[in-house]
Amino acid sequence: MPPHPDLCPFLSPRRPLPLPIRHHQQSPRPPPLLPHQGVIAAPEGSNVEDDQIFLDQDSHLGVFLRCCILAFNMLTFEGVCHLLTNLAAYCNSTDSAYELAEGDDFGNETEMLDSLDTDMDLRTAVFGKCTHEFQSEAHPGESSSLTFPAQNLLYGSAEDNYLREEDNIGVLRSKWQVEGYLNMQADYLEKDASSFPLNSFNAVLTQLQKLAPEFHRARYLQYLNALHHDDYVAALDNLHGYFDCSAGMEGLFTRSSSPRSDILVGRYETALLCLGTMHSHFGHSKKALEALTEAVRVSQQNNDDSCLAFTLAAICNLLSEIGISSRIEIIGSPFSLGTSTGLGTPLSTQQQLLVLLKRSLKRADSQKLTSLLAFNHLALAKFDLKHVKRPLLSFGPKASTKLRTCPIEVCKELRLSSHVLTEFGSDGLSLLSDNGVFSTSWTKNLAAVNNLWLADAIKSKCSSVNDFDIFQFLAQPSPVPRSVLQLAGSSYLLRATAWEHYGSAPLVRMNALVYATCFADAASSSELSLAYMKLIQQLACFKGYSEAFGALKLAEEKFPSVSKSRIQLLKLQLLHERSLHRGHLKFAQQVCDEFGVLASCVSGVDMELKTEASLRHARTLLASNQFSQAAAVANSLFCTCYKYNMQVENATVLLLLAEIHKKSGNTVLGLPYALASLSFCKSFNFNLLEASATLTLAELWLSLGPSHARRALSLVHRTLPMILGHGGLELRARANIAVAKCHLSDPMFSIFKDPSIVLDPLSQAAEELQILEYHEMAAEAFYLMAMVYSKIGMLGKREEAAASFKKHVCALENPRDEEDSLAYMF
Amino acid sequence: MVQFFYMMWSLSLQNGRLLKSIKSHDAAVVCMNWEEDVLATMPSDDDHILTYEDRTVRFFPPAPRIPRMPGLVSGDTDLMDDSEDAIHDLSGAPCQRFNILCSGDKNGFICFSIFGIFPVGKINIQQLHLCTKFSRKETTYQLLNASINKVSLSKNLCQLVVLSFGELVEFGKSSCCDDLSVGLHCVLLDTSIFQSRKNELHQVAQQASSIEDLIEVVRTSISVMSKQWSDAMNLFHEKFGSLSALIVDHGLDSSPQDEFLSLLFGARTSPALHQFLVSSLGEAGLKRVSRAVDNAGKELRVVLNEHLQPAVEIAGFRIGELRGLSRWRARFQSMGLEEKLIDNVTEKAGMLLIQIERFSRVLAIVLYQFQNFFNWVLKCIKILLSEPTDQVQPTNSELVVLFIKFLLDNDPIKELFEVNHRIDVDMETKQQVEQLVVLGGFTDMKFLERTLACEFNQLEQCLKEAFLMPFTTISAKILCRDLLPVYSISTSPVSQLPPTSISYYKLQDEVNCAFQSCMPLHSLVDYICFKVPDESFGLTNCIGIIRGFTSNSRFINKEAASPAAVLLRIPDEYECVDLSLYKDNQIILLLNEAFSNSESPGKSWMVMIQTGDLCFLSLSNLEHDFYKLHDLKASMVDMHLENGKIRFIPHCVTKPLAVSASRGVACVFSSRRHALVYILDEDEDEVSDME
Repeated sequence: MPPHPDLCPFLSPRRPLPLPIRHHQQSPRPPPLLPHQGVIAAPEGSNVEDDQIFLDQDSHLGVFLRCCILAFNMLTFEGVCHLLTNLAAYCNSTDSAYELAEGDDFGNETEMLDSLDTDMDLRTAVFGKCTHEFQSEAHPGESSSLTFPAQNLLYGSAEDNYLREEDNIGVLRSKWQVEGYLNMQADYLEKDASSFPLNSFNAVLTQLQKLAPEFHRARYLQYLNALHHDDYVAALDNLHGYFDCSAGMEGLFTRSSSPRSDILVGRYETALLCLGTMHSHFGHSKKALEALTEAVRVSQQNNDDSCLAFTLAAICNLLSEIGISSRIEIIGSPFSLGTSTGLGTPLSTQQQLLVLLKRSLKRADSQKLTSLLAFNHLALAKFDLKHVKRPLLSFGPKASTKLRTCPIEVCKELRLSSHVLTEFGSDGLSLLSDNGVFSTSWTKNLAAVNNLWLADAIKSKCSSVNDFDIFQFLAQPSPVPRSVLQLAGSSYLLRATAWEHYGSAPLVRMNALVYATCFADAASSSELSLAYMKLIQQLACFKGYSEAFGALKLAEEKFPSVSKSRIQLLKLQLLHERSLHRGHLKFAQQVCDEFGVLASCVSGVDMELKTEASLRHARTLLASNQFSQAAAVANSLFCTCYKYNMQVENATVLLLLAEIHKKSGNTVLGLPYALASLSFCKSFNFNLLEASATLTLAELWLSLGPSHARRALSLVHRTLPMILGHGGLELRARANIAVAKCHLSDPMFSIFKDPSIVLDPLSQAAEELQILEYHEMAAEAFYLMAMVYSKIGMLGKREEAAASFKKHVCALENPRDEEDSLAYMF
Repeated sequence: MVQFFYMMWSLSLQNGRLLKSIKSHDAAVVCMNWEEDVLATMPSDDDHILTYEDRTVRFFPPAPRIPRMPGLVSGDTDLMDDSEDAIHDLSGAPCQRFNILCSGDKNGFICFSIFGIFPVGKINIQQLHLCTKFSRKETTYQLLNASINKVSLSKNLCQLVVLSFGELVEFGKSSCCDDLSVGLHCVLLDTSIFQSRKNELHQVAQQASSIEDLIEVVRTSISVMSKQWSDAMNLFHEKFGSLSALIVDHGLDSSPQDEFLSLLFGARTSPALHQFLVSSLGEAGLKRVSRAVDNAGKELRVVLNEHLQPAVEIAGFRIGELRGLSRWRARFQSMGLEEKLIDNVTEKAGMLLIQIERFSRVLAIVLYQFQNFFNWVLKCIKILLSEPTDQVQPTNSELVVLFIKFLLDNDPIKELFEVNHRIDVDMETKQQVEQLVVLGGFTDMKFLERTLACEFNQLEQCLKEAFLMPFTTISAKILCRDLLPVYSISTSPVSQLPPTSISYYKLQDEVNCAFQSCMPLHSLVDYICFKVPDESFGLTNCIGIIRGFTSNSRFINKEAASPAAVLLRIPDEYECVDLSLYKDNQIILLLNEAFSNSESPGKSWMVMIQTGDLCFLSLSNLEHDFYKLHDLKASMVDMHLENGKIRFIPHCVTKPLAVSASRGVACVFSSRRHALVYILDEDEDEVSDME
């Protein structure tokens, strides 16, 4: 762009504008700006005349001035008058707002001023290229907001909502800023789609597109918007539109930490990849696989390695998330891994997944795609958590293979995946160049600073302000992209999940808390709600329902309810468990039905939800003593789990079957189920479930007669450290009661020797069950207590226990506050 | 008054490598006894078969080691490597048998440590209530100014025999005038808690000592990182600090921040900045600083990822396991594992984990900022020198602004390493932490204001508190069972302590049946052997042997099992230097020539005598003198050297004599500073001589 003819009058005002260079204000004669060697001017010729001032047009200051000029050109007559008045006022100012520029105390606030000006240049920079259509939108008075005193107004409107683009649209924005804005919106969309009203945001985007057709990215955002609002047709349409217009030349992965040049070239394959992810988002696994397989083929053809790596990762994600029946051959001919390993033996889906994961990992590693690497490590950890690795080779020397999962591998993978944050930027590949990423957050921060600064300036003009204290370093926009933070955070979430399975309550809580504390700013709402869910589940498990419901209320406020959201699921879970404990079976059944409705009807989708629904159904039936129905539901559930290779659920269902037989009195029938569940748990290292299976086993032995009491006791003792340390209130209480029962039914045991051996666990169990409002078992505990007291002749205590027993039995028989929970639910 | 500080070095028995240094004694340690539980393999009832599983090895890769301090010479690192390995050997061995090390010092303290590294108890014999019956009257005594001479834990860990010099007075009374009360006393302590809670102690000790190792890893990691970072920052400040000097030299009134900002905004370079960039810093200088910061960053990342984070994670897991144990009140409350305290520790461990995550984030940001800033400065230098800039990586000018404003003069990483710094937390985060409390988060909401180092100190403090409970509880459970005054000495300050020895033998046949009928497991009987100082009984050159002192308390009604003793007189030509009990009922005596003249070199003998040949007299039949052994004077036996096995040593020897029953060797020191090793079981004189 040629230097603007109007440059000179602007550059030599008598009173300089509050420009960032303090020498202008402080030295009696401001040293002029000189053109010298590009951007940076050497100071040698500082004695040149004022009118010779030149400024590089691409420097920050130059951009700022150019934008001032543009704005000036756009001014209406009223605007010019306004500006003139303001200028005059500024020159003769005694106004406190202008004092800062000339007072002796100026030096103290220089930094502030600097930052303000930085902001000005970012905020108001305008390229000539910037579309003229903006002009038509501009209100007459608004251009004058470019002058200094009006800055605050601008901040005010910018800081509170990113959606109010239209409020600021009168202010000219550079392409750079619009890009930054769009990137940011994309981030916000992924973080929390529910805060974006579908239509109004669409309107903003459409307007933007109309004004600046070359911003294809707006189209992409429309796609994202539709995607996150589950609008399939619009999403598909916009995705097609985006790739039609941009031909994929505009990168999608600009903000990923991968080297830009590699991915920008993604064309058809990128489109296919996006299509595939979209389909899998909507749960159309077959279509998704088709698209992704095609993407693999095309990227192989085009030697697009990074796209291939991403596509492989997408396939892995799809395979691991969507339940695929082991009988169905899912991956078609272009992709038959079974033959590509050259063994001729068909591999199971799981093995195919593993091979794919390994391959994708290798690719990501060789391409130095750090984010993808982290993603793959996470996926591998997820895989290792629930799968026993079997050697792929079916021949050769048989190494002694232990059919167990390998938690150490999980731990290693998780550690590797969290390196994505610490290693960020270390490879030198992920350096960001100027792309306006922070322009929005800057204004937000500076608005806060500005207020502070003004307040401070009024209070004490001379106090030297250490601005480092005012705005914390950590509150500043971070160069680490959100996607990297999200990946690093997911590692902690997965850790929490892993420890739920392996059984370490403190680590579940710790990891969930790390996530909720350190990654809340970057986390998407679904992941953050998962962390909250884990925390609330822990509360319900260890502190009882009243605290859990209190926390749930808070979470509901934080995450506005979307159907099928985690928080809603959690609410149903809590309600179901509480009503089972309180004995409100009708209500429990109602909640169960709600559960069933939530799941999609397509087979293979929402498998977790479906299994949980029928598991809860079986539990409800068990609680209402309908044993055969419960067993039937559990059996069919077992078949489904087996079909879909869901081993974890298998163990749970087997344990449930054992429970059903235990309660129905078929002890001998229950034993094999308990043992099977136990061996499942052992090979998957699910220690907590193992402990509860062992406890069930002990209870089964105990019900076989007093001669087995010692065996039962030693079984319970073996699991006690596990149960007491990591089990919830219910499990702990069960174990304590089991200990007491074992002692009491042991013929060798004499109660008179040391009654506390029995009474201590019983009272502890009673205490815990009361917190849980588990009337049935609390009654049992009090019954046993009363019997013991009666035997050792402590009649007063006996009466007390008996009264409590009666209270709980009554509560069980006439459920009172059912309406209460119903009201909470609807 | 000179105070002795004695560091106890625990050595792994197999390979003699340094494990860990623990400071548990304030005075010189006199004696040690390391006893392994022999009953581990013996069958007992169901409860005791149950061994606790240490799940850590199943879920975590090997624990991280102590990171290497930068700038160590290779000689030092070898040593460190070894010790790390050894710690791993130890904590990684789940099948290790339970063992306890007792050590006694000059001030009368006895310390107990499981595996030799985890202290579980400490008692002071001077403050112990010693209850015993003298003349059918129960009295409580106290040993004043006592020092420990010998300790020995029985094989089943139930009893501890202590030989102690001191003044025996009735409890509460001050030093008595009676000369007779000063002397050697034999005290039997009840340590049955070590046996009855063996599995629990084993488990707790294993977890706790592993946690302490991990804490050590964390401590070193933090200090290593702090050092690395401050080194790099010193270089950076040294290089960039010259700018402010230049500014002053040029008579400008601005700060480096202003200078850089004005450079960034494309306006101009002041002469000062120009000179700084082109001549005083220069491209080479910049590259050096950049490389230094980069390398420091790499090191920090490695320490963070491979030492600090895993260590805290594993420690958190282990603390969680301990919490599980602490909730088993029936078993663990009696040994002082307090649920509340462990809960505290769990909280602190969680907070430390968050601190580490925050640290890693700050580190990533700061390093990135530095990289960006250096690239920008490099670009500027190139422009000033009219060199092409296409090789320079792209920079982000917004981040440069952030760097200049926040990092040029401040160092957030260093602040996280400081203990007393308070970190400002923005409102949003504060609110979030408050919300999390409702969701079961940390109730201490101020934790984000603390630094990493401060949080670590708090965790350590909490751990100390938690582990102090078992320590004090167990110490309080070690009580006196029996007391036997052995002999009195008139010269109270004992400079050279007369030799003593305690050992446990399998029972000889005649007494065996009496014991074995009722308690097959404890078929060992104790022997206490000591040299009687010449003046105390009015006898010269005499040694005493007491048998079955501990059995007194076990079989209070059985005459057959009551303690018995015998006095042996050594011929006058010999002088007893040291003695030791050995293997199956033998005593090894180390004798010097009594009247050696200066011309001929001294001669010595090592004599092995069978205790079975001696005739013990039961002490319970004796009239109750305070010193029962006085009554044995009459029945003193003369020792005939011909009866025992004698080995001639052609040197004069000094204390101490060391024998090893399992290896069948004895080691003596000649006065010429030679160590001589004898194989005791063979007849030939096989001597290996070592300088």
